[in-house]
Amino acid sequence: MTAQLPLEQEVARLIVDTLNLEDVVPEDIDPEAPLFGEGLGLDSIDALELALAISRTYGFQLRADDANNAQIFSSLRALSQHIERHRTQ
Amino acid sequence: MSTLPLIAGARERDIIAWHEGLALTLPQFQDDVARVAGALPDGACLINLCENRYAFLLAFAAGLSRGLQTLLPPNRSEQTVADLLAEHAGGQVIDDAWVNAALADAAPLPPPQLIDADRLAVTLFTSGSTGRPSAHRKRWRALFAGAELTRRRLPFPDGPCNLLATVPPQHMFGLETTIVLPLVSGLRIDTGRPFFPADVQARLAALPPPRVLVTTPLHLRACVEAGLRWPAVEFVLSATAPLPVELAAKAEAAFAAPVLEIYGSTETGAIATRRTTNGPLWTPYPGVRITPTEDGACAEVAHLDDLRQPLNDLVEVEADGRFRLLGRSADLINIAGKRASLADLNLKLQAIEGVLDGVFVMPDHADERTRLCALVVAPSLSNQDILERLRRVLDPAFLPRPLYRVEALPRNAAGKLPRQALLDMLHTLGRD
Repeated sequence: MTAQLPLEQEVARLIVDTLNLEDVVPEDIDPEAPLFGEGLGLDSIDALELALAISRTYGFQLRADDANNAQIFSSLRALSQHIERHRTQ
Repeated sequence: MSTLPLIAGARERDIIAWHEGLALTLPQFQDDVARVAGALPDGACLINLCENRYAFLLAFAAGLSRGLQTLLPPNRSEQTVADLLAEHAGGQVIDDAWVNAALADAAPLPPPQLIDADRLAVTLFTSGSTGRPSAHRKRWRALFAGAELTRRRLPFPDGPCNLLATVPPQHMFGLETTIVLPLVSGLRIDTGRPFFPADVQARLAALPPPRVLVTTPLHLRACVEAGLRWPAVEFVLSATAPLPVELAAKAEAAFAAPVLEIYGSTETGAIATRRTTNGPLWTPYPGVRITPTEDGACAEVAHLDDLRQPLNDLVEVEADGRFRLLGRSADLINIAGKRASLADLNLKLQAIEGVLDGVFVMPDHADERTRLCALVVAPSLSNQDILERLRRVLDPAFLPRPLYRVEALPRNAAGKLPRQALLDMLHTLGRD
Protein backbone atom coordinates (compact mmCIF):
# COMPACT_ATOMS: atom_id res chain seq x y z
CA MET A 1 0.00 0.00 0.00
CA THR A 2 1.20 3.54 -0.69
CA ALA A 3 1.66 5.93 2.23
CA GLN A 4 -1.19 8.19 3.35
CA LEU A 5 -0.78 11.87 2.54
CA PRO A 6 -1.45 14.34 5.40
CA LEU A 7 -5.07 15.11 4.42
CA GLU A 8 -5.68 11.40 3.87
CA GLN A 9 -4.55 10.70 7.45
CA GLU A 10 -7.03 13.30 8.68
CA VAL A 11 -9.89 11.94 6.56
CA ALA A 12 -9.07 8.35 7.59
CA ARG A 13 -9.44 9.39 11.24
CA LEU A 14 -12.70 11.19 10.46
CA ILE A 15 -14.07 8.04 8.80
CA VAL A 16 -13.11 5.76 11.68
CA ASP A 17 -14.39 8.17 14.36
CA THR A 18 -17.65 9.04 12.57
CA LEU A 19 -18.59 5.47 11.78
CA ASN A 20 -17.30 3.87 15.00
CA LEU A 21 -15.21 1.38 13.08
CA GLU A 22 -13.88 -0.24 16.24
CA ASP A 23 -11.76 -2.81 14.45
CA VAL A 24 -10.10 -0.44 11.96
CA VAL A 25 -6.88 1.51 12.61
CA PRO A 26 -6.96 4.74 10.56
CA GLU A 27 -3.30 4.43 9.56
CA ASP A 28 -4.01 0.97 8.14
CA ILE A 29 -6.52 2.15 5.53
CA ASP A 30 -4.97 1.70 2.11
CA PRO A 31 -5.49 5.06 0.38
CA GLU A 32 -6.14 3.34 -2.92
CA ALA A 33 -8.42 0.54 -1.71
CA PRO A 34 -12.21 0.83 -2.17
CA LEU A 35 -14.09 2.30 0.79
CA PHE A 36 -17.33 0.52 -0.11
CA GLY A 37 -18.08 -3.16 -0.63
CA GLU A 38 -15.01 -5.35 -0.69
CA GLY A 39 -12.58 -2.82 0.81
CA LEU A 40 -13.53 -1.10 4.05
CA GLY A 41 -17.08 -2.40 3.69
CA LEU A 42 -18.93 0.89 3.95
CA ASP A 43 -22.49 1.27 2.63
CA SER A 44 -25.02 3.97 1.89
CA ILE A 45 -25.93 4.49 5.56
CA ASP A 46 -22.26 5.32 6.19
CA ALA A 47 -22.18 7.65 3.20
CA LEU A 48 -24.95 9.78 4.74
CA GLU A 49 -23.16 9.91 8.11
CA LEU A 50 -19.88 10.72 6.46
CA ALA A 51 -21.44 13.47 4.36
CA LEU A 52 -22.65 15.17 7.52
CA ALA A 53 -19.24 14.91 9.21
CA ILE A 54 -17.54 16.24 6.07
CA SER A 55 -19.91 19.21 5.85
CA ARG A 56 -19.20 20.07 9.50
CA THR A 57 -15.44 19.66 9.24
CA TYR A 58 -14.75 21.04 5.77
CA GLY A 59 -17.70 23.38 5.22
CA PHE A 60 -19.26 22.00 2.05
CA GLN A 61 -22.11 19.67 1.15
CA LEU A 62 -21.45 16.48 -0.79
CA ARG A 63 -23.53 16.10 -3.92
CA ALA A 64 -24.13 12.94 -5.89
CA ASP A 65 -26.17 14.61 -8.64
CA ASP A 66 -23.47 16.62 -10.36
CA ALA A 67 -20.51 14.32 -9.91
CA ASN A 68 -19.90 10.64 -10.00
CA ASN A 69 -20.71 9.52 -6.47
CA ALA A 70 -19.07 6.16 -6.96
CA GLN A 71 -15.90 8.01 -7.99
CA ILE A 72 -15.86 10.29 -4.92
CA PHE A 73 -16.14 7.33 -2.56
CA SER A 74 -13.99 4.98 -4.62
CA SER A 75 -11.05 5.31 -2.22
CA LEU A 76 -9.64 7.33 0.65
CA ARG A 77 -7.44 9.09 -1.91
CA ALA A 78 -10.36 10.01 -4.20
CA LEU A 79 -12.45 11.24 -1.28
CA SER A 80 -9.56 13.31 0.11
CA GLN A 81 -8.94 14.87 -3.32
CA HIS A 82 -12.64 15.73 -3.59
CA ILE A 83 -12.50 17.37 -0.15
CA GLU A 84 -9.34 19.30 -1.10
CA ARG A 85 -11.11 20.73 -4.17
CA HIS A 86 -14.33 21.73 -2.42
CA ARG A 87 -13.42 22.59 1.18
CA THR A 88 -14.20 26.04 2.49
CA GLN A 89 -12.66 25.55 5.92
CA MET B 1 -63.39 -10.39 -15.97
CA SER B 2 -63.23 -7.06 -14.20
CA THR B 3 -60.73 -4.59 -15.53
CA LEU B 4 -58.86 -1.53 -14.33
CA PRO B 5 -56.90 1.06 -16.25
CA LEU B 6 -53.12 0.85 -16.42
CA ILE B 7 -52.95 4.63 -16.16
CA ALA B 8 -55.64 6.64 -14.38
CA GLY B 9 -56.17 10.19 -13.21
CA ALA B 10 -54.04 11.76 -15.95
CA ARG B 11 -55.45 13.64 -18.94
CA GLU B 12 -54.05 13.51 -22.45
CA ARG B 13 -51.61 16.42 -22.16
CA ASP B 14 -50.76 15.87 -18.51
CA ILE B 15 -47.28 15.35 -17.20
CA ILE B 16 -46.64 11.89 -15.72
CA ALA B 17 -43.08 12.38 -14.56
CA TRP B 18 -40.12 14.74 -14.38
CA HIS B 19 -37.03 13.17 -15.87
CA GLU B 20 -33.84 15.13 -15.26
CA GLY B 21 -35.71 18.42 -15.43
CA LEU B 22 -37.77 17.51 -18.51
CA ALA B 23 -41.54 17.06 -18.35
CA LEU B 24 -42.68 13.66 -19.61
CA THR B 25 -46.21 13.85 -20.94
CA LEU B 26 -48.72 11.04 -21.06
CA PRO B 27 -48.30 10.43 -24.85
CA GLN B 28 -44.50 10.26 -24.47
CA PHE B 29 -44.82 7.86 -21.55
CA GLN B 30 -47.25 5.63 -23.46
CA ASP B 31 -44.87 5.57 -26.39
CA ASP B 32 -41.96 4.58 -24.14
CA VAL B 33 -44.03 1.87 -22.43
CA ALA B 34 -44.95 0.48 -25.86
CA ARG B 35 -41.29 0.22 -26.84
CA VAL B 36 -40.29 -1.56 -23.65
CA ALA B 37 -43.34 -3.84 -23.95
CA GLY B 38 -42.23 -4.69 -27.48
CA ALA B 39 -38.81 -5.78 -26.24
CA LEU B 40 -39.98 -8.05 -23.42
CA PRO B 41 -39.73 -11.76 -24.16
CA ASP B 42 -42.92 -13.87 -24.01
CA GLY B 43 -43.45 -15.75 -20.77
CA ALA B 44 -40.81 -13.81 -18.88
CA CYS B 45 -40.96 -12.64 -15.30
CA LEU B 46 -39.06 -9.44 -14.76
CA ILE B 47 -36.46 -9.08 -12.05
CA ASN B 48 -36.49 -5.31 -12.04
CA LEU B 49 -33.19 -3.95 -10.66
CA CYS B 50 -33.39 -0.55 -12.40
CA GLU B 51 -31.68 2.25 -10.47
CA ASN B 52 -33.38 4.89 -12.58
CA ARG B 53 -36.98 5.32 -11.44
CA TYR B 54 -38.25 6.09 -14.94
CA ALA B 55 -36.64 2.91 -16.27
CA PHE B 56 -38.25 0.96 -13.41
CA LEU B 57 -41.63 2.58 -14.09
CA LEU B 58 -41.44 1.75 -17.80
CA ALA B 59 -40.47 -1.89 -17.24
CA PHE B 60 -43.15 -2.30 -14.56
CA ALA B 61 -45.91 -0.77 -16.70
CA ALA B 62 -44.77 -2.64 -19.82
CA GLY B 63 -44.71 -5.93 -17.90
CA LEU B 64 -48.17 -5.30 -16.49
CA SER B 65 -49.51 -4.47 -19.94
CA ARG B 66 -48.10 -7.74 -21.31
CA GLY B 67 -49.19 -9.88 -18.34
CA LEU B 68 -45.56 -10.44 -17.26
CA GLN B 69 -45.15 -10.07 -13.53
CA THR B 70 -42.34 -8.23 -11.78
CA LEU B 71 -40.22 -10.00 -9.14
CA LEU B 72 -38.55 -7.87 -6.48
CA PRO B 73 -35.79 -9.65 -4.50
CA PRO B 74 -35.17 -8.74 -0.83
CA ASN B 75 -31.75 -7.34 -1.81
CA ARG B 76 -29.51 -7.01 -4.83
CA SER B 77 -26.77 -9.40 -3.73
CA GLU B 78 -25.42 -11.67 -6.47
CA GLN B 79 -26.51 -14.82 -4.69
CA THR B 80 -30.06 -13.56 -4.11
CA VAL B 81 -30.54 -12.69 -7.76
CA ALA B 82 -28.96 -15.99 -8.86
CA ASP B 83 -31.33 -17.93 -6.56
CA LEU B 84 -34.32 -16.06 -7.95
CA LEU B 85 -33.26 -16.79 -11.53
CA ALA B 86 -32.79 -20.46 -10.69
CA GLU B 87 -36.28 -20.71 -9.24
CA HIS B 88 -38.20 -18.80 -11.90
CA ALA B 89 -38.27 -20.06 -15.43
CA GLY B 90 -38.05 -17.16 -17.85
CA GLY B 91 -36.55 -14.82 -15.27
CA GLN B 92 -35.28 -11.75 -17.08
CA VAL B 93 -33.07 -9.28 -15.24
CA ILE B 94 -34.03 -5.74 -16.21
CA ASP B 95 -31.62 -2.88 -15.51
CA ASP B 96 -31.24 0.66 -16.80
CA ALA B 97 -29.10 -0.43 -19.76
CA TRP B 98 -31.69 -3.04 -20.79
CA VAL B 99 -34.46 -0.42 -20.78
CA ASN B 100 -32.35 2.09 -22.71
CA ALA B 101 -31.60 -0.51 -25.36
CA ALA B 102 -35.31 -1.33 -25.63
CA LEU B 103 -36.19 2.36 -26.04
CA ALA B 104 -33.66 2.67 -28.85
CA ASP B 105 -34.43 -0.51 -30.76
CA ALA B 106 -37.69 -2.22 -30.05
CA ALA B 107 -40.76 -2.26 -32.27
CA PRO B 108 -43.52 -0.66 -30.16
CA LEU B 109 -46.34 -2.75 -28.76
CA PRO B 110 -48.94 -0.25 -27.51
CA PRO B 111 -50.35 -1.14 -24.10
CA PRO B 112 -54.07 -1.85 -23.69
CA GLN B 113 -56.03 0.84 -21.85
CA LEU B 114 -57.64 -1.66 -19.52
CA ILE B 115 -56.12 -4.71 -17.95
CA ASP B 116 -57.44 -7.63 -15.94
CA ALA B 117 -57.82 -6.40 -12.36
CA ASP B 118 -56.83 -9.83 -11.05
CA ARG B 119 -53.59 -9.89 -13.01
CA LEU B 120 -50.58 -10.71 -10.85
CA ALA B 121 -48.54 -7.50 -10.99
CA VAL B 122 -45.64 -8.13 -8.68
CA THR B 123 -44.17 -10.58 -6.21
CA LEU B 124 -42.04 -9.06 -3.46
CA PHE B 125 -39.67 -11.30 -1.54
CA THR B 126 -38.73 -10.72 2.09
CA SER B 127 -36.21 -12.70 4.06
CA GLY B 128 -38.20 -15.07 6.22
CA SER B 129 -37.05 -16.72 9.45
CA THR B 130 -36.51 -20.05 7.70
CA GLY B 131 -33.50 -19.18 5.56
CA ARG B 132 -35.65 -18.94 2.43
CA PRO B 133 -37.27 -15.73 1.20
CA SER B 134 -41.06 -15.61 1.50
CA ALA B 135 -43.08 -14.42 -1.47
CA HIS B 136 -45.81 -11.76 -1.29
CA ARG B 137 -47.97 -11.64 -4.41
CA LYS B 138 -49.83 -8.48 -5.40
CA ARG B 139 -52.65 -8.29 -7.89
CA TRP B 140 -53.18 -5.10 -9.85
CA ARG B 141 -56.54 -4.71 -8.10
CA ALA B 142 -54.89 -4.55 -4.66
CA LEU B 143 -52.11 -2.15 -5.67
CA PHE B 144 -54.64 0.08 -7.40
CA ALA B 145 -56.99 0.15 -4.41
CA GLY B 146 -54.14 0.81 -1.97
CA ALA B 147 -52.91 3.75 -4.04
CA GLU B 148 -56.40 5.24 -4.22
CA LEU B 149 -56.73 5.04 -0.45
CA THR B 150 -53.35 6.74 0.01
CA ARG B 151 -54.32 9.46 -2.47
CA ARG B 152 -57.50 10.17 -0.53
CA ARG B 153 -55.96 9.96 2.93
CA LEU B 154 -52.96 12.27 2.50
CA PRO B 155 -53.43 16.04 2.09
CA PHE B 156 -52.37 16.24 -1.56
CA PRO B 157 -53.50 19.54 -3.08
CA ASP B 158 -56.22 19.52 -5.73
CA GLY B 159 -54.71 19.61 -9.17
CA PRO B 160 -51.14 18.75 -10.17
CA CYS B 161 -48.66 17.79 -7.47
CA ASN B 162 -45.03 16.73 -7.83
CA LEU B 163 -43.41 13.98 -5.78
CA LEU B 164 -39.72 13.58 -5.06
CA ALA B 165 -38.53 10.38 -3.36
CA THR B 166 -35.31 9.22 -1.74
CA VAL B 167 -36.58 5.63 -1.56
CA PRO B 168 -35.95 2.98 -4.22
CA PRO B 169 -38.97 1.51 -6.04
CA GLN B 170 -37.89 -2.05 -5.19
CA HIS B 171 -39.65 -2.35 -1.84
CA MET B 172 -43.35 -2.09 -0.98
CA PHE B 173 -43.41 1.53 0.24
CA GLY B 174 -41.30 2.74 -2.69
CA LEU B 175 -43.36 0.74 -5.17
CA GLU B 176 -46.70 1.97 -3.84
CA THR B 177 -45.76 5.63 -3.49
CA THR B 178 -43.39 6.27 -6.36
CA ILE B 179 -44.66 3.87 -9.05
CA VAL B 180 -48.30 2.85 -8.47
CA LEU B 181 -49.51 6.16 -7.03
CA PRO B 182 -48.28 8.20 -10.03
CA LEU B 183 -49.71 5.59 -12.46
CA VAL B 184 -53.20 5.58 -11.00
CA SER B 185 -53.70 8.98 -9.38
CA GLY B 186 -52.31 11.63 -11.70
CA LEU B 187 -49.56 12.64 -9.27
CA ARG B 188 -46.25 13.31 -11.01
CA ILE B 189 -43.06 11.63 -9.90
CA ASP B 190 -39.54 12.96 -10.24
CA THR B 191 -37.63 10.00 -11.66
CA GLY B 192 -34.48 10.79 -9.67
CA ARG B 193 -33.46 9.31 -6.37
CA PRO B 194 -31.46 12.04 -4.62
CA PHE B 195 -29.12 10.73 -2.00
CA PHE B 196 -27.26 13.42 -0.05
CA PRO B 197 -29.26 16.22 1.61
CA ALA B 198 -27.84 18.76 -0.86
CA ASP B 199 -29.09 16.54 -3.71
CA VAL B 200 -32.56 16.39 -2.16
CA GLN B 201 -32.56 20.17 -1.79
CA ALA B 202 -31.48 20.76 -5.40
CA ARG B 203 -33.96 18.26 -6.87
CA LEU B 204 -36.80 19.74 -4.82
CA ALA B 205 -35.92 23.25 -5.92
CA ALA B 206 -35.90 22.13 -9.57
CA LEU B 207 -39.47 20.78 -9.28
CA PRO B 208 -42.34 23.24 -9.69
CA PRO B 209 -44.57 23.55 -6.59
CA PRO B 210 -46.68 22.08 -5.10
CA ARG B 211 -44.22 19.44 -3.99
CA VAL B 212 -44.18 16.46 -1.63
CA LEU B 213 -41.04 14.76 -0.31
CA VAL B 214 -41.23 10.97 0.16
CA THR B 215 -38.50 9.63 2.41
CA THR B 216 -37.43 7.51 5.39
CA PRO B 217 -36.33 8.28 8.97
CA LEU B 218 -32.70 7.75 7.93
CA HIS B 219 -32.78 10.33 5.13
CA LEU B 220 -34.99 12.70 7.06
CA ARG B 221 -32.49 12.78 9.92
CA ALA B 222 -29.65 13.47 7.47
CA CYS B 223 -31.67 16.30 5.87
CA VAL B 224 -32.52 17.86 9.24
CA GLU B 225 -28.94 17.65 10.54
CA ALA B 226 -27.51 19.15 7.34
CA GLY B 227 -28.96 22.51 8.40
CA LEU B 228 -30.03 23.51 4.86
CA ARG B 229 -32.82 25.87 3.76
CA TRP B 230 -35.58 23.81 2.18
CA PRO B 231 -37.84 24.67 -0.76
CA ALA B 232 -41.55 24.80 0.17
CA VAL B 233 -43.28 21.41 0.38
CA GLU B 234 -46.94 20.58 1.08
CA PHE B 235 -45.87 17.82 3.44
CA VAL B 236 -43.13 15.27 4.04
CA LEU B 237 -44.07 11.59 3.94
CA SER B 238 -41.96 9.04 5.83
CA ALA B 239 -42.22 5.26 6.13
CA THR B 240 -40.27 2.00 6.57
CA ALA B 241 -39.74 2.54 10.33
CA PRO B 242 -41.51 4.64 12.95
CA LEU B 243 -40.18 8.17 13.19
CA PRO B 244 -39.02 9.33 16.63
CA VAL B 245 -41.23 12.25 17.68
CA GLU B 246 -38.22 14.51 18.36
CA LEU B 247 -36.98 13.98 14.82
CA ALA B 248 -40.46 14.59 13.40
CA ALA B 249 -40.69 17.90 15.31
CA LYS B 250 -37.27 19.04 14.04
CA ALA B 251 -38.23 18.04 10.50
CA GLU B 252 -41.52 19.98 10.69
CA ALA B 253 -39.54 23.04 11.77
CA ALA B 254 -36.88 22.61 9.06
CA PHE B 255 -39.40 22.07 6.24
CA ALA B 256 -42.10 24.35 7.69
CA ALA B 257 -44.62 21.63 6.77
CA PRO B 258 -46.38 18.67 8.38
CA VAL B 259 -44.46 15.40 8.58
CA LEU B 260 -46.78 12.46 8.00
CA GLU B 261 -46.05 8.77 8.36
CA ILE B 262 -47.42 5.69 6.67
CA TYR B 263 -47.67 2.41 8.54
CA GLY B 264 -47.66 -0.74 6.49
CA SER B 265 -45.78 -3.88 5.64
CA THR B 266 -44.80 -5.86 2.59
CA GLU B 267 -47.73 -8.16 3.33
CA THR B 268 -50.39 -5.44 3.59
CA GLY B 269 -49.03 -2.37 1.83
CA ALA B 270 -49.89 1.01 3.37
CA ILE B 271 -52.75 0.65 5.86
CA ALA B 272 -52.58 3.57 8.32
CA THR B 273 -51.16 7.07 8.76
CA ARG B 274 -50.35 9.51 11.52
CA ARG B 275 -48.92 12.96 11.97
CA THR B 276 -46.13 12.08 14.39
CA THR B 277 -46.23 15.37 16.29
CA ASN B 278 -49.96 14.91 16.98
CA GLY B 279 -49.34 11.83 19.10
CA PRO B 280 -48.57 8.13 18.80
CA LEU B 281 -51.93 6.94 17.43
CA TRP B 282 -52.23 5.63 13.88
CA THR B 283 -55.51 5.98 11.97
CA PRO B 284 -56.25 2.96 9.74
CA TYR B 285 -57.35 3.44 6.14
CA PRO B 286 -61.07 2.94 5.46
CA GLY B 287 -61.73 -0.80 5.16
CA VAL B 288 -58.78 -1.67 7.42
CA ARG B 289 -59.22 -3.03 10.94
CA ILE B 290 -56.35 -3.80 13.30
CA THR B 291 -56.87 -6.32 16.08
CA PRO B 292 -54.49 -7.67 18.71
CA THR B 293 -53.98 -11.43 18.64
CA GLU B 294 -52.45 -13.81 21.17
CA ASP B 295 -48.94 -13.41 19.85
CA GLY B 296 -49.10 -10.06 18.08
CA ALA B 297 -51.64 -8.37 15.88
CA CYS B 298 -53.38 -8.78 12.60
CA ALA B 299 -54.85 -6.46 10.00
CA GLU B 300 -58.11 -7.08 8.19
CA VAL B 301 -57.74 -5.35 4.85
CA ALA B 302 -60.84 -5.27 2.65
CA HIS B 303 -58.94 -4.82 -0.63
CA LEU B 304 -56.57 -7.80 -0.21
CA ASP B 305 -57.14 -11.44 -1.22
CA ASP B 306 -56.18 -12.75 2.19
CA LEU B 307 -58.37 -10.66 4.41
CA ARG B 308 -56.45 -11.30 7.63
CA GLN B 309 -52.76 -10.48 7.56
CA PRO B 310 -50.52 -11.03 10.59
CA LEU B 311 -48.47 -7.95 11.51
CA ASN B 312 -44.91 -7.98 12.80
CA ASP B 313 -45.68 -5.46 15.51
CA LEU B 314 -47.41 -5.57 18.85
CA VAL B 315 -50.29 -3.09 19.04
CA GLU B 316 -52.80 -1.57 21.43
CA VAL B 317 -56.09 -0.66 19.78
CA GLU B 318 -58.40 2.16 20.94
CA ALA B 319 -62.18 1.85 20.92
CA ASP B 320 -62.36 3.99 17.76
CA GLY B 321 -60.01 1.67 15.84
CA ARG B 322 -56.90 3.85 16.04
CA PHE B 323 -53.85 2.03 17.36
CA ARG B 324 -50.41 2.51 18.86
CA LEU B 325 -47.32 0.38 18.22
CA LEU B 326 -45.83 -1.26 21.29
CA GLY B 327 -42.72 -2.80 19.76
CA ARG B 328 -41.98 -5.64 17.48
CA SER B 329 -41.38 -9.33 17.63
CA ALA B 330 -37.88 -9.87 19.07
CA ASP B 331 -36.75 -11.78 15.98
CA LEU B 332 -37.30 -8.87 13.63
CA ILE B 333 -34.85 -6.04 13.21
CA ASN B 334 -35.01 -2.89 11.13
CA ILE B 335 -31.88 -1.07 10.01
CA ALA B 336 -32.33 2.02 7.88
CA GLY B 337 -35.81 0.80 6.95
CA LYS B 338 -34.62 -2.64 5.86
CA ARG B 339 -36.14 -5.55 7.71
CA ALA B 340 -34.59 -8.88 8.49
CA SER B 341 -35.13 -11.84 10.76
CA LEU B 342 -32.33 -12.50 13.25
CA ALA B 343 -33.02 -16.23 12.96
CA ASP B 344 -32.48 -16.03 9.21
CA LEU B 345 -29.28 -13.98 9.57
CA ASN B 346 -27.95 -16.49 12.11
CA LEU B 347 -28.66 -19.38 9.73
CA LYS B 348 -26.76 -17.61 6.95
CA LEU B 349 -23.82 -16.94 9.28
CA GLN B 350 -23.73 -20.51 10.55
CA ALA B 351 -23.93 -21.87 7.00
CA ILE B 352 -20.51 -20.42 6.13
CA GLU B 353 -17.88 -23.14 5.81
CA GLY B 354 -15.44 -22.78 8.70
CA VAL B 355 -17.96 -21.07 11.00
CA LEU B 356 -18.49 -23.45 13.93
CA ASP B 357 -20.95 -21.25 15.77
CA GLY B 358 -22.15 -17.69 15.43
CA VAL B 359 -24.85 -15.24 16.37
CA PHE B 360 -25.97 -11.73 15.46
CA VAL B 361 -26.83 -9.34 18.29
CA MET B 362 -28.72 -6.05 18.09
CA PRO B 363 -27.42 -3.73 20.84
CA ASP B 364 -29.83 -2.10 23.28
CA HIS B 365 -31.08 1.45 22.67
CA ALA B 366 -30.80 1.10 18.90
CA ASP B 367 -31.90 3.90 16.57
CA GLU B 368 -32.41 3.57 12.81
CA ARG B 369 -28.66 3.73 12.18
CA THR B 370 -27.54 1.19 14.78
CA ARG B 371 -25.71 -1.82 13.34
CA LEU B 372 -25.71 -5.43 14.33
CA CYS B 373 -22.77 -7.00 16.11
CA ALA B 374 -21.74 -10.60 15.56
CA LEU B 375 -19.95 -13.13 17.73
CA VAL B 376 -18.39 -15.87 15.67
CA VAL B 377 -16.47 -19.05 16.44
CA ALA B 378 -14.33 -19.69 13.39
CA PRO B 379 -10.70 -20.53 14.22
CA SER B 380 -9.69 -21.06 10.58
CA LEU B 381 -11.18 -17.85 9.16
CA SER B 382 -10.25 -14.17 9.39
CA ASN B 383 -12.79 -11.37 9.93
CA GLN B 384 -12.31 -10.42 6.28
CA ASP B 385 -13.09 -14.00 5.14
CA ILE B 386 -16.31 -14.05 7.11
CA LEU B 387 -17.42 -10.58 5.99
CA GLU B 388 -16.67 -11.38 2.38
CA ARG B 389 -18.87 -14.47 2.52
CA LEU B 390 -21.67 -12.67 4.35
CA ARG B 391 -21.57 -9.90 1.76
CA ARG B 392 -22.55 -12.41 -0.93
CA VAL B 393 -25.78 -13.31 0.82
CA LEU B 394 -26.80 -10.25 2.88
CA ASP B 395 -27.78 -6.69 2.26
CA PRO B 396 -24.80 -4.56 3.40
CA ALA B 397 -26.97 -2.89 6.07
CA PHE B 398 -26.95 -6.18 8.00
CA LEU B 399 -23.20 -6.82 7.89
CA PRO B 400 -21.99 -6.98 11.50
CA ARG B 401 -20.06 -4.05 12.89
CA PRO B 402 -18.08 -5.00 14.76
CA LEU B 403 -17.61 -8.71 14.19
CA TYR B 404 -15.77 -10.45 17.03
CA ARG B 405 -14.20 -13.86 16.69
CA VAL B 406 -14.44 -15.67 20.02
CA GLU B 407 -13.51 -19.09 21.38
CA ALA B 408 -17.04 -20.07 22.29
CA LEU B 409 -20.50 -18.51 22.54
CA PRO B 410 -22.03 -18.17 26.02
CA ARG B 411 -24.53 -20.98 25.49
CA ASN B 412 -26.40 -22.10 28.60
CA ALA B 413 -27.10 -25.69 29.64
CA ALA B 414 -30.06 -25.85 27.28
CA GLY B 415 -27.86 -24.71 24.39
CA LYS B 416 -29.63 -21.35 24.23
CA LEU B 417 -28.00 -17.94 24.09
CA PRO B 418 -29.51 -15.65 26.75
CA ARG B 419 -29.54 -12.09 25.48
CA GLN B 420 -27.93 -10.75 28.65
CA ALA B 421 -24.99 -13.15 28.31
CA LEU B 422 -24.44 -11.96 24.74
CA LEU B 423 -24.61 -8.30 25.77
CA ASP B 424 -22.14 -8.96 28.62
CA MET B 425 -19.74 -10.65 26.21
CA LEU B 426 -19.98 -7.75 23.76
CA HIS B 427 -19.42 -5.29 26.58
CA THR B 428 -16.24 -7.08 27.68
CA LEU B 429 -14.93 -7.35 24.11
CA GLY B 430 -15.66 -3.71 23.38
CA ARG B 431 -13.58 -2.53 26.32
CA ASP B 432 -10.44 -4.40 25.31
